[in-house]
Amino acid sequence: MTVENLDLIAGWAGLVLTLMVFSYLLADNFLYRIAVHVLIGTAAAYVAIAAVEDVLMPWLRATVFSNDADTSSGVRALGVLPIFLGALLLLKSSSRLARLGNLGTVFMIGIGTGVALVGAVIGTILPLARDASNSFDHESALNGAILLGGTLCTLVYFQYLSRRRSDGEPVNRPHIRTLRFVGQGFVTLTLGALYASAILTSLSIFSSVIHEQLRFILNQLGG
Amino acid sequence: MQADRKTRKRRRLRLGNAVNATLVLALGFITMVGLLSPADSMTGLTADVFLQLVGVLAAVAVLVGVLNLLLVHLGRLPRVRKGGFYSLVVILSAVAVAVVHVLDRSKSWGGDLEGQKVGPRLFGVIQVTLESALAGMVFFFLVYATYRLMRHRVTWANLVFLAAVLIVLIGWLPLKGLDGAQDVRDWLMEVPVSAGARGLLIGIGLGTVTVGVRVLLGRERAYREP
Repeated sequence: MTVENLDLIAGWAGLVLTLMVFSYLLADNFLYRIAVHVLIGTAAAYVAIAAVEDVLMPWLRATVFSNDADTSSGVRALGVLPIFLGALLLLKSSSRLARLGNLGTVFMIGIGTGVALVGAVIGTILPLARDASNSFDHESALNGAILLGGTLCTLVYFQYLSRRRSDGEPVNRPHIRTLRFVGQGFVTLTLGALYASAILTSLSIFSSVIHEQLRFILNQLGG
Repeated sequence: MQADRKTRKRRRLRLGNAVNATLVLALGFITMVGLLSPADSMTGLTADVFLQLVGVLAAVAVLVGVLNLLLVHLGRLPRVRKGGFYSLVVILSAVAVAVVHVLDRSKSWGGDLEGQKVGPRLFGVIQVTLESALAGMVFFFLVYATYRLMRHRVTWANLVFLAAVLIVLIGWLPLKGLDGAQDVRDWLMEVPVSAGARGLLIGIGLGTVTVGVRVLLGRERAYREP
């Protein structure tokens, strides 16, 4: 088989798979389901290959199977540790031994939580709070007020500031209700703009898919 | 006798939960301190090792997940009427990718394909094509969902949402005479949408901190026995 033949087969396979996916626009059918299951199978295999080749093998080569004479037995033992903890995850399918499988989860959750906390504070809250407080620096007074007010009202919208009346009904004080109303407006505007961006993105992907497949068909018809 | 056994089991579970909570607290605290310390300090290096360990552990967890997926589909194979055929498709696709990868690695292709990598081409054909087609199809669902939104019920929030969608879409059109719409779109994105997005992101950050602290204090049940 030549490379040209391989590309031709790949082109036809791509066209058939695209049509199988778009057949869903008519109705849910077996062609669409086959295409989705092909995607699941190949994605699983590619993810597994990437995990082995890009993460596990370099790690094992650097620790357990290191040729460096200076590599201590402690480093080699450290190299086995995540593999051992990962293998324990297999025990989670057993009702009796599931507790041992939790050890791997504990490592991931503990370290992941530490990273998430530092990331949330240093990477999100502080820079955005600083930006919000500097709203008036780069914008006109009106825009600055909208930026700062919008940010604060959005935050108020997600707070539970209601009080319970004697009959158990939760009520907001009038000024909180007003701030929440304004906050809801900002959230709705933001979600609308994000939704429109999603429409534009999917439209450009759709047009590029159609362009690609039409080009292939025209190439075949022309030559 | 049975009550005694139950009490012992409950005590064992409580002990296991305490050990897990202590480990989570210790690992999370050391990681936080390490990330905030200079990279060449003892705590910084410890956090670096922890992150590498978690990276490798996550890769093993991915492998366990893929293995589980294939085992589930293998188990469904005999039940043809309940999607056994689709399970066969999943398994055959995964095996095909693995076989092509092994042939690529062992440089077993002969003839004109000698020295060629078929795996990346296969990736381009199947993964990229299917994912692009699925992402492109989302366009129809998003437009239809907007139409359904207005048919269902008209509220002030729906109207504001639709106005924002239309302003952004019309402002995007590269037509002459729509400069005003483009200016409105730019202002909308730079001021009110930016304010709303900032509020949402700060809220997400605060939520992450709250959940993180709850996990470190052992209040979340993700790793605890019931």
